[in-house]
Amino acid sequence: MKKYFFLVFITLSLTACRKEKDTYEGVSIQELYSDFLLLDNFKVDKDSVDFANGENATFSAKFNKPVNWTITITGQTSKARKIITGQSKTIDISNGKWNGSTTDFPMFTKEHCVALLKIENVVDSFTVSTNIKTLKVNPGFVIADFENGFNPAWTKFVQSGANMDFNIKSDSLCPQGAKYLKMAGTVNWDYLIGLIDFPATAYGTAKTFPLNTNPDNVYFNCLIYGVPNTNESIILFQFKEDEDGNGTYNNATTDDQYDYQITVNWSGWKLISIKYSDLVSLSNGQPTTPHGNSIHNPNKLAKISMLHLANPSNGFASSKLDYIIFTDAPLEP
Amino acid sequence: MMNLKRSFALLASVFILNSAVAQQQRMVDFVGGARSIMTNNQLLVRDSLADTSTVKRNTGGYALIDLGVNIRPNSTTEILGTFRIRNNYGGFWGAGVTVDVRELWLKGIIGNIVRYQVGDLNLKQTPFTFYNHHADRFDSLPSIFSLQNDIVRYEHFYSNNTWRSQGANVNFGFSFSRGLEEINFNAYTTRLKASNFSTIPDRLFSGATVNVVQSNHFEINYNLATVFDVKGTATATNNFHNTVNTFNTSYGATIGAFDWKISGEAGESNYAYSEAPDTADLIDYFIYVKGEINWKAKHLSINGGYLNVGPDFRSIGAQSKDVNYSALTNYYERYTNSQSLRPYSLYDLLNNDAIYNTEISTETAHIDASVNNVMPYGIATFNRVGGFVGLNYSHPNGFYITATHFKLNEIRGQGTTSLKDFTSTELNACVEVNKFLNLKNTIKVQGGSTYMTSVRIGNISLEDVDLKTTKHQVGAEVEVSKGLDLLFGIVSLSSKGNEFIAERNIYTVADYFNKVEYKLNQSITAYGIRYRFDSKIYICGLFQHTKYADGFHTNVDYAVDQFSLIYNMTF
Repeated sequence: MKKYFFLVFITLSLTACRKEKDTYEGVSIQELYSDFLLLDNFKVDKDSVDFANGENATFSAKFNKPVNWTITITGQTSKARKIITGQSKTIDISNGKWNGSTTDFPMFTKEHCVALLKIENVVDSFTVSTNIKTLKVNPGFVIADFENGFNPAWTKFVQSGANMDFNIKSDSLCPQGAKYLKMAGTVNWDYLIGLIDFPATAYGTAKTFPLNTNPDNVYFNCLIYGVPNTNESIILFQFKEDEDGNGTYNNATTDDQYDYQITVNWSGWKLISIKYSDLVSLSNGQPTTPHGNSIHNPNKLAKISMLHLANPSNGFASSKLDYIIFTDAPLEP
Repeated sequence: MMNLKRSFALLASVFILNSAVAQQQRMVDFVGGARSIMTNNQLLVRDSLADTSTVKRNTGGYALIDLGVNIRPNSTTEILGTFRIRNNYGGFWGAGVTVDVRELWLKGIIGNIVRYQVGDLNLKQTPFTFYNHHADRFDSLPSIFSLQNDIVRYEHFYSNNTWRSQGANVNFGFSFSRGLEEINFNAYTTRLKASNFSTIPDRLFSGATVNVVQSNHFEINYNLATVFDVKGTATATNNFHNTVNTFNTSYGATIGAFDWKISGEAGESNYAYSEAPDTADLIDYFIYVKGEINWKAKHLSINGGYLNVGPDFRSIGAQSKDVNYSALTNYYERYTNSQSLRPYSLYDLLNNDAIYNTEISTETAHIDASVNNVMPYGIATFNRVGGFVGLNYSHPNGFYITATHFKLNEIRGQGTTSLKDFTSTELNACVEVNKFLNLKNTIKVQGGSTYMTSVRIGNISLEDVDLKTTKHQVGAEVEVSKGLDLLFGIVSLSSKGNEFIAERNIYTVADYFNKVEYKLNQSITAYGIRYRFDSKIYICGLFQHTKYADGFHTNVDYAVDQFSLIYNMTF
């Protein structure tokens, strides 16, 4: 019994000695709520950045306290914007690195850029400028960026409706490169306005696309433009696998088809990314069971079909499409 | 609709199984409950401009049945499956009907030695390893507020400080004829998070307790609770683990007219990510000692103790909160012309199951300093050292009183070297008047108050903290004739002062302190009438008036009137 009390006494004595009076956790409250000071000027480490060769532009600045900051980089020609945000006392390579990617489309071109630093609750803002020497390269397999027009091995079908336009355009709306696909028209008897098939054979002699076998490591990406004040477009991508390797997709018997249906209910350009393993099989928009082995096999993908659809009773529908690309991670354009 | 058909097919299968099983003279029972709630609500917004954007009145409700099939196919196996069929009022032809599996477990005994349970589990260990503290709960709520609060607890499987988990649990023990009475072993493993095969790995929570009972007077336990990511279940390699090892013990004896007991727990924790910075590798310890003296003849017990929980002590199982202060209320979620989010109020804390968690969280849960700033994670709150005293008086004639007082302070400063002092004083009482007056029908009066303070005198005045929170509750229950009760209650919460709330990153390290100021007054006044068909079935009409007033006008004041008709039964 006495031993028990002794043990408790010793333990209490030991723990009671714990004092941390000269240290504290987190940032200093005095600092946090003091007046803002810019200790090191806002700078960028390169006047000209070679993004294509893996260079980055690194912004830096130092403040007297942690602040919420936003850097907005704007291309002076394209008006492309990249936004970097953070909460810290310093901006450096850990939080202020720009790899040439874009937040708001279009993508950057080889151009002069101005970076604007804004601090929350601070009136002053700070600017620096840099130039893009070469553009960021996105590793992946490009299905279509329309820069070289229609590939003759693609198959196009367009309904004979009113005001039909299923053509490649080159104007200031282009989000990547110089060209994009416009899809528009009124088809009052069918959902389908037009479609394009992209067979794997259009890219070489192989029967399937050169994609990873692991569907978790394959991402499908594209840029879609929603046209304000028009009927909602529906863009349906069909991913047709050749399970038995006979060179032909056969939906009725042995092959899988996965689908990705996008209702274009926004205005402007938007990046769409989906992991191949998240694709589902659809029938009239409802989930169904594929006819093959029901296993996502991106390495067996033989054909992609892109269908532009719209509710026939709603009239004219229009949208735009660009930069269809497979990557091994969500595209950072 | 497809799921609905499948669920009905499943239910039909169970009934067919029931028939077959019954024919073989095996034991099958039906357990469960049924409930119907109809509500009529009105929101009153006290904005400078009339709120013309929010729909102020709504009616709603639902009916549901939880049908549990308890099957004992043999003497060593038991299976429970509970299906829930719920229909929102206004849902016709199945449009508002949902059918879910609410509970599913199987348990049994292997070789007459090892007990096991797989499926849904209600688990707890010790207050520092795996425990649902319900730290922000109002203790000793008047009966009228318990009606809806009990529904919240039922919905989230809150019972005896357990957390709902899914996995497996085994236990077994050995008895001895001399030296020791018995040694018991208990182990569990549950899955907290499923892998997405890329960024999120499978996260498991496992634990074990070895219980050594020397006699009726003395026992000692070793407890292990560990949360860890299973390597290789995702492409991400930043794996997490939080391991807590503790010993707890108790020694009790009777000396003269007094039963006395001393108990305690001590241990250490390790909280780390494999690829996090060194500063995010948190290792710390705690100690908790409590002494109790029970004077049976006078129906009185007093207790006191010492608490020291290190600033870096982390225990996911013990520091998860039942209330999710980040959750949307799903009840008058937006208000005012700008359709801003309605701040939750006492009504949500007591009645709204949308803001409660069923499972433990793997990140530091948000706290609300205006509700509980002293021990937001119960006695497992990190960075607290101090003592406490308590008193319980329970007279057989129906007079109960409990009182506790905590005096704590921080061990490590938060954004300053100055430390905060905390006090929490709570007093609750209940008088069963009918027992005093020897009346047949129940007349019960309940009341209680809690007063909490947080004070820091900083190195400069900017760092000062002075926050006071007061809770009051009072209520009465009068049985006017057999089974028919009149109910009344008021509960209030006021918070005044300022505090700096730590914003913690994913490693639970504070990287910002938000200055907040409170001048909040909230209350609910409730009246009700209840008819109890028997101890398991009642119907109740309930009116509640909720007020939310923010003296700083950070949020627009509002009030909600609600009339509810509740029918509840268990079987």
